[in-house]
Amino acid sequence: MMQTMRSNLHALFTLRERGSGKIAVGYAIIGLFVFTAMAAPWITTGEPARQDLLNRLAFPSFAHPLGTDQLGRDVWTRLVYAIQLDFRIGILGMLLPAILGSLIGVASALSPHWLDAAISRLADIIISLPLFVFFLALAGLLGPGSDWGPFGPGELPILLGFTLLGWVVYARLLRTEMHRILAMEYIRAAITGGLPLHRVIIGHVMPNAVGQTLVYMCVDIGLAILSLATLSFLGAGVPLDRPELGGMISASRTVISSNWWLVAAPGAVLALMGTGLALIGDGLDDRLKP
Amino acid sequence: MGFKAGNRSDHLAWRLGGWLAQLAFSILILVLIVFVLTQVAPGDAARLRLGPRASQEEVDVLRKQLGLDQNILVQFGSYVGRLARADLGTSINGEPVSEVIRQRIDKTWWLLVGTSVFSLALSFPLAWLSAYYRDRAIDHVIRFAVLVALFMPVFWIGFLLIRFLALPTGWFPVAGLGSSPMELLRSLVLPCLTGAIAMAPILVRSLRSSLIEVISADYVTVARSLGIRGSALLFRHILRNALGPTIALFSLNVGYLFFGIVILETTFAIHGLGSQLVTASIKKDVNVVQAITIIFAAGVVLANSCGDLVVRWLDPRQGSR
Repeated sequence: MMQTMRSNLHALFTLRERGSGKIAVGYAIIGLFVFTAMAAPWITTGEPARQDLLNRLAFPSFAHPLGTDQLGRDVWTRLVYAIQLDFRIGILGMLLPAILGSLIGVASALSPHWLDAAISRLADIIISLPLFVFFLALAGLLGPGSDWGPFGPGELPILLGFTLLGWVVYARLLRTEMHRILAMEYIRAAITGGLPLHRVIIGHVMPNAVGQTLVYMCVDIGLAILSLATLSFLGAGVPLDRPELGGMISASRTVISSNWWLVAAPGAVLALMGTGLALIGDGLDDRLKP
Repeated sequence: MGFKAGNRSDHLAWRLGGWLAQLAFSILILVLIVFVLTQVAPGDAARLRLGPRASQEEVDVLRKQLGLDQNILVQFGSYVGRLARADLGTSINGEPVSEVIRQRIDKTWWLLVGTSVFSLALSFPLAWLSAYYRDRAIDHVIRFAVLVALFMPVFWIGFLLIRFLALPTGWFPVAGLGSSPMELLRSLVLPCLTGAIAMAPILVRSLRSSLIEVISADYVTVARSLGIRGSALLFRHILRNALGPTIALFSLNVGYLFFGIVILETTFAIHGLGSQLVTASIKKDVNVVQAITIIFAAGVVLANSCGDLVVRWLDPRQGSR
């Protein structure tokens, strides 16, 4: 039953236990995408926006492995840059809600009963509302905005929205785990033994409580990427001229009968990326199960 | 707890009261969220209506008419008042919002019903196979397929079905909904199938585990030992008890389903509330956005509560927990 933070992280990086097959396949898929995204300047033309109007909707060839789109832009190049953008937003869109939600979850589990109950009722209500519909309406009304520091147009409102909606799941996960562990014998023993409360929490409760959160974090990157793509498709995400997986599908929908791969490729990339992440999460879950 | 019939927490009126209070609170929260939506929308609502060429005086007059010059609490009060009288205002084009909604709500309704039916028709057999052949090859195949499907964008599935099913065969129209009953059914197949594939990952996983729970429950073992087999066992003992968790799960995911409807309407060019929400929010047509989000949110809250009530009615053990 005893699992420490170190063994949780250990579970992420060793390949000789239960669930190793899934984790290995997941790492292979994600590694491939990370490599592709990092090697972008060398394996593509390096200019996702360059148009070649004389060469529109070209079929796949050596110069254009996935052909060109309606504006004669190289689709392979755009796809690689889209993977970069989606992956970055996916990781941030998982991390920010995870941090906020975990803090709320821990605080809630340690609060007096009435506050704990109030927070979890609020979480119940928030989760039951169609928040993505609100978010869509808000993103549309506000528009994409412009660059802000390292974030391109449309990225900041999306991250803000993901954080405001996504914390609920993390807060619930961590709160439940904290309650489960706080009720265990060894915690009572540690408190009776005179260990200060903050050391019990940091040293003994937290390391054992974060397992399920780590599992969900893997899946959540994929879900954040999926949400980003969907919002862009609906016109409320990043502007269509930036290379983004959902935006690329949306832009090519009118030429689907002749150049179907322009629609198929970005979606397949998205599904594969999500599957890789979910496999890592699944394998981790197998491993953390007692 | 709760063996005595007159137990206070089990009392029907008590439970109904709690349910109504929760419903009221949820609706209050969502009205507040929607009101905040309108406040953060950039630009002046009056200016947006009259266009950039209108003079400042005209804009000021309209501002006064719309009550935009008053303080925010007064505005919220009158907003709630208007909502209570079912007055939704007018759209940017000057059309009453209630009219915009009346023209479109039936399409969204058909889509909602169709997608629900298709989702259950697709997910339940998959979950059943997966649970029945637990840890065998077929279970692994279904679970992997469902995992991949979780990350396939709804609109992408739709476009691929259009390209590789509807266009080559010509069986299904690819855009809009038909008007005659037969045409309506035919045009619903593709969007509802798409929606069902998107809902399956969420439903199959949880359904599988609740089916496994039912299959390995004591009363099923007892029924088996009494010699009950085949369809009698399946329908009277297993399906009946699996119905509760299925409905509970479905009503919990109605919010997700509603968002799916928005995407489906945009993908298949169906002029319902969802596609209207998308276009209205981009055109900054605040009143229309408000009305549609409130309808969707109320629908979700209502579906959740109804699901909850049905589940308790089907399985009285739930109420005393």
